[in-house]
Amino acid sequence: MENLIPTLTVQVFNGLVVGMLYALIGIGLTLILGLLDIPNFAHGALYALGAYLLVQILGMTGSFWLGLLIAPIVVFILSMILERLMIRPLYPVGTNYVLLFTFAVSVIVQELIIILWGPVGFSVLPPTMLAGSVELGLFSYPRYHLFVMFVSVAVIFALWLLLERTRYGAIMRAGIENKTMVSALGIDVYRLFTVGFGLGAYLAALAGVLIAPIRGLTPYMGVDILPFAFVIVALGGLGNIIGAIAAGLIIGVTQTLTTQFWPQGSTITIFAVMALILLTRPQGLFGAR
Amino acid sequence: MGHAKVAKLRPQLGPIIPWVLLGVVVLILPDLMRTTVATEVWIFAILALAFNLLLGYTGLLSFGQATFFGAGAYTAGLLLIHQRVHPLVALAAAALAGGLVAALVGYLCIRRVGLYFIMLTFAFNLMAYFIVYQASSITGGVDGLPGVPRPPVNLQVISWDIRPGVSYYLFVSLIFLACALALKRVVDSPFGLVLQAIRENEARAAALGYNTSAFKRLAFVISGAFSGLAGALYGMLFGIVPIDTIYWVTSGNVVFMTLIGGTSSFFGPVIGAIFFIWLAETISVRWERWPLLFGLVFVLVIFFFRGGFVEVWRRLQALLPRPGRKLEPDRGPTKD
Amino acid sequence: MQKVTRREFLKLAGTAAGIIGLESAAVGCQVAGQVGGAGPQPAPEIPMLGIWPFTGAFADVGPVLDRGMSLALEEWSYKVIGRPIKYVKRDDETKADTATRRVEEAIETEGVKYVIGPWSSGVALAVSEVAKRRKVLHFFSGGTEDISGKRCHRYSFQWAAHAYTAADTVVKTFLRENPGAKRWYLLIADYAFGWSLEKYLKLVGEKYGVQVIGSDRHPLGEREFSGYVSKAVGARPDVVAMVNFGQDAIQAVRTFYNFGWQPKQPLIMSWSAGVEELVQLEPEMRENVWVGTNFYYTIDTPVAREFVKRYRQKYNEPPGYAPAAAYGMTRLVLRAIEKARSAEVPDVIQALEGWEGEDLLGKMSIDPRTHQTLRPYFFLRCKKKADMKDQWDFADLIGIGDTPQPRELNECQDIGPL
Repeated sequence: MENLIPTLTVQVFNGLVVGMLYALIGIGLTLILGLLDIPNFAHGALYALGAYLLVQILGMTGSFWLGLLIAPIVVFILSMILERLMIRPLYPVGTNYVLLFTFAVSVIVQELIIILWGPVGFSVLPPTMLAGSVELGLFSYPRYHLFVMFVSVAVIFALWLLLERTRYGAIMRAGIENKTMVSALGIDVYRLFTVGFGLGAYLAALAGVLIAPIRGLTPYMGVDILPFAFVIVALGGLGNIIGAIAAGLIIGVTQTLTTQFWPQGSTITIFAVMALILLTRPQGLFGAR
Repeated sequence: MGHAKVAKLRPQLGPIIPWVLLGVVVLILPDLMRTTVATEVWIFAILALAFNLLLGYTGLLSFGQATFFGAGAYTAGLLLIHQRVHPLVALAAAALAGGLVAALVGYLCIRRVGLYFIMLTFAFNLMAYFIVYQASSITGGVDGLPGVPRPPVNLQVISWDIRPGVSYYLFVSLIFLACALALKRVVDSPFGLVLQAIRENEARAAALGYNTSAFKRLAFVISGAFSGLAGALYGMLFGIVPIDTIYWVTSGNVVFMTLIGGTSSFFGPVIGAIFFIWLAETISVRWERWPLLFGLVFVLVIFFFRGGFVEVWRRLQALLPRPGRKLEPDRGPTKD
Repeated sequence: MQKVTRREFLKLAGTAAGIIGLESAAVGCQVAGQVGGAGPQPAPEIPMLGIWPFTGAFADVGPVLDRGMSLALEEWSYKVIGRPIKYVKRDDETKADTATRRVEEAIETEGVKYVIGPWSSGVALAVSEVAKRRKVLHFFSGGTEDISGKRCHRYSFQWAAHAYTAADTVVKTFLRENPGAKRWYLLIADYAFGWSLEKYLKLVGEKYGVQVIGSDRHPLGEREFSGYVSKAVGARPDVVAMVNFGQDAIQAVRTFYNFGWQPKQPLIMSWSAGVEELVQLEPEMRENVWVGTNFYYTIDTPVAREFVKRYRQKYNEPPGYAPAAAYGMTRLVLRAIEKARSAEVPDVIQALEGWEGEDLLGKMSIDPRTHQTLRPYFFLRCKKKADMKDQWDFADLIGIGDTPQPRELNECQDIGPL
């Protein structure tokens, strides 16, 4: 019992690391949801695609950093093409068909991953300079995990700058709030949708790349993460970025702290917390309405 | 919307045609696919119809229909294993369990709208799954609940042995037809019309003095009861209640089979269930990576048969002399 | 059962209508009984079913299981007692209901009488029910002790070592190499398989003076192990022993490595697939990892040598536990058919019961009372990266154990009739 305090601190740290990754995935999903009004069932598949592209680039160039840079950009471009060619024609048909389509895309991407990279999973080692642990006083902590936390914070900050401090970001925020108004101002809403979808996919792929050395790769990693992504979006409030960050961290910390006291229940607790919060605050933690 | 008037104007035979067709399909389906698969089709058809009462008629996208399906399956399974009850008693108990769980979930979720409603039903589904997973001494946990018997349907004078596959197919299809008739009565009743009014414009329905929440809750309970009944039939089909009956993927499958069939017509979900199960079963024996084809077919359906199979049927119907106007409105449900 | 023709079906439908009118109901039941009970026409070929996961949680294992079974059948040139063998394979999607349906389907349409597989315990227990009901021979290899325990019956056989044998081999061999490491921490997958091996690890551990200082159970399909690892590390045990399988096990090893547990301290995978799991980890992650497994490709028996050679020639990689189990089970069924000189299921079951001989793992036998294969279990120590001769040179085989489960602990009271 005498080492409970350091252990709990480590658990909170663990929760924050995984929580930041959840937040990245959740922000992408909530952005797409707020802007395009579609629950993107392909989000997990895009996350998996990011991780597999990292491995591909790692195999060809040997550089993790190149992979970290390029893989999410490839997913960004691919998903914008997907949105432009396949999803846009479905907007007039209704949300249900877009939902159905993203489901189909998730299945197709997952099977393509199996065909291209095989059904067997593999591991990725963190780059050499991030291997090992750092002494943090009370305990030592894996250097790569700290790096992930740092990158996530940086990316989220950059996103905040984009949304709050640039003209395009303002348009995007306005698009989440009120699409009719934005189009009345003469702005091409459809182009906004394309970019928004790409940006959301970029964040998913980035999370996939970052998580690869922590969780490895399997073709089903997308299906594994999808429920978590949806829980975070609902908790944070639809289309709410601050909410997604908070929800990601809450879920992450809940998960690791439950592990400390009631390990069997680490998953059920997450959904209980979600149900509880949604029942008392149905609009999510930070949702309007 | 004048539904009642239209219904009166229709030629007498109009409403019977789909039922005759359905009867024919029940008879020829075992020729087209294997008996167990055909049986499964009608079980999922009940589930899809029950689900569409929410999605198509009330405008509620419940992403947790497996909660009720599973509740029914486990209730019936446990009663059949431990109490050796009459199959019809098991079905009734399953419907009751499905309805009760739906009443609880409905009570907690129904006032939330749109995506929040979807997410809440989803969250409760995941919770239900983990409860079943944890209570493994009762439910068998992840290994499922095995040894569900199919005792004879004892009706005083005669006893019908439903153990053979074909007899069970018959039993299930009869129950399906009964459920479909009952649900059709529900949607055509004044109650069903209020639900449709809620789907079209909840505020207006409320302004007309309807307690819309109460109506939605009742729809939820009815849907849950039929889902539970379908779950019981499913457990009896394989002699086991697998934990997948209550897994969220099952909820997803129901949503997708209903959408593929089309939500805007009463029989759309039935067609969706037939197609969904037939497709999965046919291509999975031919190629290990069958989900890829499955996804591609979905894309084809979305792009070329929008509105689901009901659309194809309507296009065919347009070529024939018209038997009468459709009762259902042509447009699908709107989101929140 | 053949597919029901339309005429039969319409007749039935008519009968059903009759039931409502209380007419000819008895005839209806009779017809239904006939249709249900009619067996397939005796075919000259022997159809054998491999029910493997090609999609779902174990999608990565299906293809290699398929290879193992194919290799065994090839060895017999798809022929036994002069009759051709037809290899039927189906995807169980790692789901109990799907597996049940597809096995039933294969029995009905292909006339299958021998079912080999599936891969996961929960699915296997469902398939075992089908085997019992449809009176077909079922051979399975996996972690559940119920197939040869409380849910034993005459038609199902277990190829994998008993959980007791595994626990005994793991504890004994590990302590032989690390006599001081008596404080153990357990990490257990929270389902029947995990619990039974946990029970035996504690039981056997007591015998050898192991002190279990902590034990955590994680849900099946857990992907976030940082919490478990921090907790285990905080308890300062000498060794962490895990009882989990597939992606859960791989992810746990990976997390232990990330948190700096290995290579300084030892980690035991008590019930591992061997090659299939180790290949998914980097060599650095495997250092000081100890592995209990049902098969490793350096096992030195004539059958194993030949099997490994042919497997490597054909697929450019060594076989792990999965293909070996599929191969081994198919072999035993084929050898039993030869011994019985009959492809009738009861004859083959009797030939398997009490069978003894040299096979894939050396001396093997089948307990007629429980249908448990009595066979050795293996313990490996993973190699350092520098010591690996090639990318497949994962580990040294350092221990073999075959202590059977004590009779009084077995829950198979009555294997039942044929």
